[in-house]
Amino acid sequence: MATVSTPASPKTALRMRSAGGMRMRRTVNDVITYILLVLGALLVLIPLLWMIATSLKTESELFLLPLRLFPEVPQWHNYIDVWRIQPFTQFFMNTIFITVLAMGGEILTCALVAYGFARFRFPGRDILFITMLGTMMLPGVVTLIPTFLIWRGFERIDTFTPLTVGALFAWGPAYIFLLRQFFLTIPREIEESATIDGANTLQTFFYVMLPLVKPALLTIAVLSFTGNWNNFQAPLIYINTPQKYPVILALYSFSESLSKEAPKWHYMMAMTVIMSLPIVALYFAAQRYFIEGLTVGAVKG
Amino acid sequence: MVDFYARTLIDYAVVALGMAVAMFIVFQVLVRLGMKREAATGYALILPWLLGFIVWTAYPILASLYYSFTNYNVFQPPKWVGLDNYVKWLTNDRSFWPSLRLTLLYGLISLPIGLALSLGVAMLLARNVRGVGVWRTLYYLPAIIPTVATILLWRWLLGSEGLVNQIMSPLYNLIGMDKPSWFVDERYALPGLIIMSLWGVFGANTVILLAGLKNIPTHLYEAVELDGGGAWAKFRHVTLPMISPTLFYTLVLGVIAAVKTFEPGIFIKLNSLTTGTFLQVLVYGNAFAGGNSRMGYASALGWIMLIIIMVLTLLVFRSSALWVYYEGERK
Repeated sequence: MATVSTPASPKTALRMRSAGGMRMRRTVNDVITYILLVLGALLVLIPLLWMIATSLKTESELFLLPLRLFPEVPQWHNYIDVWRIQPFTQFFMNTIFITVLAMGGEILTCALVAYGFARFRFPGRDILFITMLGTMMLPGVVTLIPTFLIWRGFERIDTFTPLTVGALFAWGPAYIFLLRQFFLTIPREIEESATIDGANTLQTFFYVMLPLVKPALLTIAVLSFTGNWNNFQAPLIYINTPQKYPVILALYSFSESLSKEAPKWHYMMAMTVIMSLPIVALYFAAQRYFIEGLTVGAVKG
Repeated sequence: MVDFYARTLIDYAVVALGMAVAMFIVFQVLVRLGMKREAATGYALILPWLLGFIVWTAYPILASLYYSFTNYNVFQPPKWVGLDNYVKWLTNDRSFWPSLRLTLLYGLISLPIGLALSLGVAMLLARNVRGVGVWRTLYYLPAIIPTVATILLWRWLLGSEGLVNQIMSPLYNLIGMDKPSWFVDERYALPGLIIMSLWGVFGANTVILLAGLKNIPTHLYEAVELDGGGAWAKFRHVTLPMISPTLFYTLVLGVIAAVKTFEPGIFIKLNSLTTGTFLQVLVYGNAFAGGNSRMGYASALGWIMLIIIMVLTLLVFRSSALWVYYEGERK
């Protein structure tokens, strides 16, 4: 199905001789389009439904045949049980602590750096900017071990420090790039009038420029929140004490304990739902910024 | 109980304050040295990134190159062993070649299929369907679910008694095939991993490609129509060339992401001797997991991955002249 149709402008419609046949073909194409879209949507939705349905089943219903999507009686208490098996309140506090600190540091420093690159001329600026973009290509695995050794040298293994403090060094070249693009669209006159009013660079930055790029800041906030919330490798390497686990490590340790004889998939799926829910909620609340963040840079180049 | 929060809060405050002071000092020193205020401000503002680049990127890269020529178990100082890690260890490590094969095949197969599917969905959505927003949200949903959750879900779906095998069992009977034990059987591990990766693939790529498709001016399609071209001609001569820069962007990011794949290899126990596992998992396993940490060998593996990514990216860039069309570029 590789058809692309465009809405016919009035001019083209007039030019078409067999308008009726054309309309017929359009309708057929539309029907096929919707059928394909629904099929695709089913492929997306069924696994998700299965995840939620499983989380509401009893253990004996897990492998019941014939297959039934929904359990006889939804076992809502699975969620309470899960909360009892592992101290999820603690895990959520840990996750939120890490995410908020990392996100805050990331946004503030990236905005400062982006402002520097966007508005001030200094020798070597373009080379530094290209170097920064180049680091986007770098696989983190090369820096992984020395970075670990640095934190080990500071005796910060098994603390939240390696997961958060690095953010103060303007993590995320993509965020800097996006913010710079936004700063570039703001007319210079605005800053000049702020300067005439007696504002210094920092005042101009915080009171004039930042409010103007609020959409970009929100975009980054959303992307950074999800990035830190879902980060798995760093906590896996740096955190050892179960009390300090973020939710994602709790999921990992539970999945490790899943036994072949009595696989508690209903609990596992309940935990996955718990882990995903905040992110899904955030997505629905901030969809606009999500989409914007994804497309900037890709399309406009 | 929460003194581990306090500890990090103190670290965080100290570094934040230190950064502010450093920015101020850089500005003052540069101005005293006779630099223009504008330039001095610029350097001060980019200082967080510049310091981060030196401390967290440049130094680690060089350090890991050095470690890759040493034998280093963290507890004793690194011992220089020359090319041993690249030659002796690599030939002795029986999980390296299967893992290299798995990582490359995973990328080479799932990437093009994923891009084609995303482009397909994006093209369907670009046809002015009703409720684009709702469809887009729907197709994006798997991409928001944390990767780890996706992997666990698919481990459950692709279990030997899982949903997929149950639904497909009539088909298996028809062609006289046993229920595959996905992930366990080496023949089905790679297909299982690819199926899993394809589920979430629509998300970001579809959104990006859809935006790219929407940027194509309609008069180009009208021109093809005037010349009597059909749907295929429109796709071949307008859509594909016009979308190629966006495809290129997603392809470059996809190559890097595929080689870096990590989570599936951790959450799904693959037999590293037969099936292989993801290279990144080998690095992690050698450096951090288990009793004996082989930081030197792990660093060498990391550098091999870096070289693979650079070669693949370079190939994509080189080939781009053949298939990527930039409007406004003179030939």
